Amino acid sequence: MPANILLIIPLLLPLLGAITCVFMWRDIKWQTVVVSCVQLIFVGISGIMLQQVLMQGMQVTQIGGWPAPYGITLVADVLSALMLLTTSIAGLAVFMFSHVALDKSRKKFGFFPLFLLLQMGVSGVCLTGDIFNLYVWFEVLLICSFALIALGSKKSQLEGALKYVTINFIASGLLLTGVGVVYALYGALNLAELALLVRSEHVNAELLALPGIFFLTGFGIKAAIFPLFFWLPASYHTPPIAVSAFVAGIVSKIGIYTLLRLYSLIFSVEGDYAQPLLLLLSGLTMVVGVVGAAAQVDFRKILSFHIISQIGYMLMGIAIYTPLAVAGSIFFVIHNMLVKTNLFLVSGVVARRHRSFSLTRLGGVYLKHPTLSFLFLISALSLAGLPPLSGFWGKLMLAKGGFQAGNYILVATSLCVSLVTLLSMTKIWNEVFWKPRPKRLKQSTHETMGTYTLYFPVFFLLVFILILGVFADPVIQVCKIAAQEVFHSEIYINAVLKDKRP
Amino acid sequence: MRTLIFATAIRILTPLFLVFSLYILLRGHNHPGGGFIGGLMGSIAFVFHTLAHGTKQTAKSYFSLTFYKYDRKPHHNNLSHALRLLRKNIVRNKKEKPIFIWNYYLLRLRPTYLMAIGLAVAVGSGLVGLVMGKPFMAAYWLKVKIPLVGSVGTPLLFDTGVYLLVLGMVLKMVFTMSKD
Repeated sequence: MPANILLIIPLLLPLLGAITCVFMWRDIKWQTVVVSCVQLIFVGISGIMLQQVLMQGMQVTQIGGWPAPYGITLVADVLSALMLLTTSIAGLAVFMFSHVALDKSRKKFGFFPLFLLLQMGVSGVCLTGDIFNLYVWFEVLLICSFALIALGSKKSQLEGALKYVTINFIASGLLLTGVGVVYALYGALNLAELALLVRSEHVNAELLALPGIFFLTGFGIKAAIFPLFFWLPASYHTPPIAVSAFVAGIVSKIGIYTLLRLYSLIFSVEGDYAQPLLLLLSGLTMVVGVVGAAAQVDFRKILSFHIISQIGYMLMGIAIYTPLAVAGSIFFVIHNMLVKTNLFLVSGVVARRHRSFSLTRLGGVYLKHPTLSFLFLISALSLAGLPPLSGFWGKLMLAKGGFQAGNYILVATSLCVSLVTLLSMTKIWNEVFWKPRPKRLKQSTHETMGTYTLYFPVFFLLVFILILGVFADPVIQVCKIAAQEVFHSEIYINAVLKDKRP
Repeated sequence: MRTLIFATAIRILTPLFLVFSLYILLRGHNHPGGGFIGGLMGSIAFVFHTLAHGTKQTAKSYFSLTFYKYDRKPHHNNLSHALRLLRKNIVRNKKEKPIFIWNYYLLRLRPTYLMAIGLAVAVGSGLVGLVMGKPFMAAYWLKVKIPLVGSVGTPLLFDTGVYLLVLGMVLKMVFTMSKD
């Protein structure tokens, strides 16, 4: 497929789907049909894109036909194609879940168009080759997820959404300032052009650390890195599970993807400040996240705190910055997107059946739903990183990369943290699935309708998690190729600026 | 704000605002202006009308089609009856009562549709380039020049989409707020 068409479809498809959904505002049935078509095509196109990028190298299109440093560029390399494929798979699962589990009033008030626009924002961030457009796509993403979190206007939801949007607006302000400073320093916004300028002798090269810090702080807030994570557990447990699964599973990892992209192309990790800072932050993020999870008694809050600790692992790969560690980081992002979404979906199924997210009020799920417990167990063990499940391979690559680079303390921290993660998953297992059901709550109402269809998306994601674990080798190879492309930025520069420099 | 002076002035000003907003839209490609500003100016017309007359009246006067149906006179055949209906719909004699008045609301107070149409038009203008085998949003201009409008091409279509989108967005906000 020509790159002109291939790269625009992941943006156009959700947008057209959303427009169609707006035209059929009250007709949920047809909206569902449209959205399911869009999701299926989206997964297919992402697969085609990954294959084409692997076969033919980077795909580039210049929107409007304006050549690279002046126009808007869309670029797909292996890394962004991998991210797109993973988000589309998770999106399909979340859509299947929301089709059954979401209440009608939310669907009537535009859940589907917002969901599609959120997906458009995610693919925009993954595909853009321009630092200002990156900011714009992040705004699209932020506004849609804000609307989704607030949709339904329950009191707790609005409280969570307010925290989410306030802190994220501050982050957006920092990002925009960073974009402005970069433009003031180099007079360019195109990522490839900037990468070229940064690598040449430039008068302003000394000042590059300034926008670097702006971007690190901004994306640090969005990805919930150590001192800036408080908004995440405060807002992710409030919306309905279909929303929080997608937002928790996908959106915070997009921040990590962008950090990797920017710190490989423009700012260098191996500067004076970046590497020690990132190493410190990643270690602290891991520890604080997992310690925070230990104090919680709410299913979703525990999972939310684990997002933070896992963000630490992804940051660890970027901080170590060897090809193996970065490949491990990429693998870990993919693994975590699928597993975290799946765990949130499982918590949704449990809550739909037992009407609670609180660990003290739940219990005895294993007796009633052994299948569900089994599904949870595999996802949770995968999250904790038991071999041969997917989390193990990611952690193995990261640890190996860390040992090769000599970061023994960080590797030791990460291994301890994964032990505590296992402990925390055991806590959920004990409280929700294993212990007898609290007596005074035995007569609570059970909802039977649709529970078994709810298993389907969980199964669907679990298949991918198992594939990722058992047949890890091809995926790891692809991740290594992606990491190679990250390290050889001249491939990126040549692909984007090929018209300029024959 | 339902004063007589304001209400009367608005009746004359509204078309003026609309014409001026179209002018801003059309000059936008090479001069200051364009879809966004044009849309905002166009929406001012409706906002003032809503302030003066209320949401319902605005919807009735600008976003609805009204058809009048009359009895067929015995000596009329089909064609002359249709002609008479057409004439009566354009210039209505107040004394002669129509037997049926059919009101069709274009927006049904839901400017969301306007936003969706605008988005669709803007995306469609981008698709033209894709169909011609060029990148998305590559400009394509028609050879002929239309008097008053000037050159017509996909950038103008894109601006029109933005115009509709902005118009719909502002109207949505204003109508929602003026309902309470």
